[in-house]
Amino acid sequence: MNAFAQRRLRNLALTGMSAGILIAINQLYDMSLRDAAFMNGWVLFAGMVFLSLFNLRKKLNVLPLVPAGAWLQMHIYVGGLCSLLFLLHSEFVLPNGTFETILWLLFVVVVVSGFTGLLLSRILPPRMDARGERVIFERIPFLRAQVARQVQELAMRSVQETRASTIADFYVKELAPYLYRPRNFLGNLVGSHRAERRLHVAIQALERYLDERGRAILGEIDALITAKANLDYQYALQLVLKLWLFFHLPLNYSLMLFSVLHIVIVYAFSAGAP
Amino acid sequence: MISGVAIPRPRRWDRPFGPEMTEGDVLRVLRTLQVFAAIDPAQFPASSPLHDIVLNDARVRRHRAGEVILRKGDYGNSVFVIVTGVVRELPEAGVTLRSDRRQTPGLLGAISQLWRNARVPERRDITIYRNGHAGRANGVRRGDLRGVIRDIDEVIGHQPTRPLGPQEMFGEVAALSRAPHLATYFAETDVELLELRWQALRDIRRRDKGFREQLDALYRATSLKAHLRESPLFQGLHESALEQLASHTLFETHGEFEWSGGFKELAAQDPNDVLESEPVIAEHGDYLDGLLLIRYGFGRLSERLDHGHRTVGYVTHNEVFGLSEIVDHWRDGRDLTLRHGLRAVGFVDLLRVPTALVEDYVLPNLPPEHLPPPPGRSIPRQANRLGWRTELELEQTTINFLMNNRTINGTAAMFIDTDRCTGCDDCVRACALAHDNNPRFVRHGPEQDNIMVTNACMHCVDPVCLIGCPTGAIHRAPDGLVVIDDITCIGCATCANSCPYNNIRMVEIRDQRGDFIVDVETQAPIVKATKCDLCRDQLGGPACQRACPHEALVRIDLRDRERLVDWLTR
Repeated sequence: MNAFAQRRLRNLALTGMSAGILIAINQLYDMSLRDAAFMNGWVLFAGMVFLSLFNLRKKLNVLPLVPAGAWLQMHIYVGGLCSLLFLLHSEFVLPNGTFETILWLLFVVVVVSGFTGLLLSRILPPRMDARGERVIFERIPFLRAQVARQVQELAMRSVQETRASTIADFYVKELAPYLYRPRNFLGNLVGSHRAERRLHVAIQALERYLDERGRAILGEIDALITAKANLDYQYALQLVLKLWLFFHLPLNYSLMLFSVLHIVIVYAFSAGAP
Repeated sequence: MISGVAIPRPRRWDRPFGPEMTEGDVLRVLRTLQVFAAIDPAQFPASSPLHDIVLNDARVRRHRAGEVILRKGDYGNSVFVIVTGVVRELPEAGVTLRSDRRQTPGLLGAISQLWRNARVPERRDITIYRNGHAGRANGVRRGDLRGVIRDIDEVIGHQPTRPLGPQEMFGEVAALSRAPHLATYFAETDVELLELRWQALRDIRRRDKGFREQLDALYRATSLKAHLRESPLFQGLHESALEQLASHTLFETHGEFEWSGGFKELAAQDPNDVLESEPVIAEHGDYLDGLLLIRYGFGRLSERLDHGHRTVGYVTHNEVFGLSEIVDHWRDGRDLTLRHGLRAVGFVDLLRVPTALVEDYVLPNLPPEHLPPPPGRSIPRQANRLGWRTELELEQTTINFLMNNRTINGTAAMFIDTDRCTGCDDCVRACALAHDNNPRFVRHGPEQDNIMVTNACMHCVDPVCLIGCPTGAIHRAPDGLVVIDDITCIGCATCANSCPYNNIRMVEIRDQRGDFIVDVETQAPIVKATKCDLCRDQLGGPACQRACPHEALVRIDLRDRERLVDWLTR
């Protein structure tokens, strides 16, 4: 068993134990006829505050705090515990009021987006690795333009060297629109390479109209199309890995705001509650 | 042409090593110190005459009795010549000396980086450059004193020491081999020393054969015994046995001292040719005439496989080659033939201790738990005190990658596990935050499977980037980190060109308002060398590693094979 698997097992065991303790305390509260919602609500809120602090930890890297890697582990497992607390707090029923429904939805979306992000961050990097060298996201437009320029030069050279317009025509009609923008975004996300394959087939179909020199140029273009497809692939996956946080974080801030309002409202209308 | 704030372009001796060094001092040391008296000044070019080298790259240091001048284990870039007084060499680190305290900003200082950092890239305080001519090189005074020994007689009486008198030199081992000092040196009486920094040493060695030979002979004599004493293998030996070993031990040097240029050319052609280009120290299957002790540098372990050689691991500082074979011969009478070959990776200094002497003096005195187990028996992970577990338990492609790219040189190489890296750039942002908003590495570099060795300074065991620096701006701090003094850097790019890994960047600097700082004559921008400093002035260590939420990034010392294997196979 490798180090990560050992850690995962240990953390799952600790989380399971913590979950058991939380459920037991909740039961004790119920059995003693006290309102467990106050207890599990505050614990849930404390957990949510801790989860929100992760982003602050990332900003405060100048301080000798717990490494972000260890913090993320806590973030994941405390997130799991908070989900359980949320279920206990909401007593496993759907909300009925508008405010509660918004709060409920926000919590669910934040949790789902969090676990989706975790899943993406574990699944997508190895998939990118499998498609060759990792490219820095910010350099992709530059590299794409470089590939496009090279293909354009090859297309123009083909006219001069082969005295045939087959490649140039194909470039204008099919390749130029493909090269100058990111393509096949959804296909890349789900692992479909149909668009790329279609282009390769179309390129191969041109060979019959070309002489030896033309076929050599076409071969170079074919290789560049593969390079462009790889760039699109990296772009799509890296974009998703960057964007999910823009979804998770603002929703979390909204959730925290609504949670504070929820607490204020609960206390405002809880006179006489134990 | 770029408009901006103009200053004179920095030159080599704008900031002399010892600004208080006078013409009188120069004349005095050139006349009185024999090491200089024998040098013919006519050998030196008009651009860097001997007089100017001594004036600018040397300084006079005075220490009171008891003050520690050099500390064992620290890195150094200078050679010392005793002018007056007596210095004691203390081979054992038998005194407790204060540890260095780095300048860290404190909690408030650390937090204030959040709003104090520059909004423009590579901002510099121009007044420092303008006043630079009158200033002194960074660190010349601060940290000179390595501690104080109160009771000198007690120290001298209870442990082996060696007195050094006027005209004698010391510190050459660390300066010439880019390795730590092998002994502590303290002033027994009030002393006056001439300290020659690496730049002076390099230039004088290059020009004067007599100086070079004298220094090299001293280097070999000093380092031979000191290294034998340092190795755990010989630590239990009596002084007389050590003398006997030293008198029969050969000192060998393999490879090129300045190997970076040749390596860059070779690696650019085909990294797989790197092995073939490495000088062979010992061939797989050859008779083993002596135990090889790596004093400095790296050796590649390989074994013959059909028509080629398969790399199995490496040996480095203080590790041995051939011990298992000698032990098996001594214990079971097996053949004394090498089970691996050894090649010099870059530059290697080693000691060859005759097999018969190892069998007669060393092995009988070695505790059984320090001996390698017989062939076929597994080696406990903890039992590696002598470094005989040198094979890497990694995939062959990974071993080849680490060896062919000479990544094994790194003491703080940045590895990224691309299977876990999401490209969030938290590491880059953290690095920028710790360096006035300027990231000091590029999240890119050679890749093998899921491992990327990024373009971040590795703080090499053998930092070849230091060799050519004309001013000493890039130097090794006593703790071993390779750092650049921005004020002393003249932007010549020698270090950037010498770095075999392309980990040093030349940047155009700006003033507080964001205007480029330019040369007053040509109006060309002034450039400075920059690189990772391992966040040595930050709280908590390397920001990049602490910032990675996915634990994809690590700063790793490749001499620590167990940690390396653990991390790569986690």
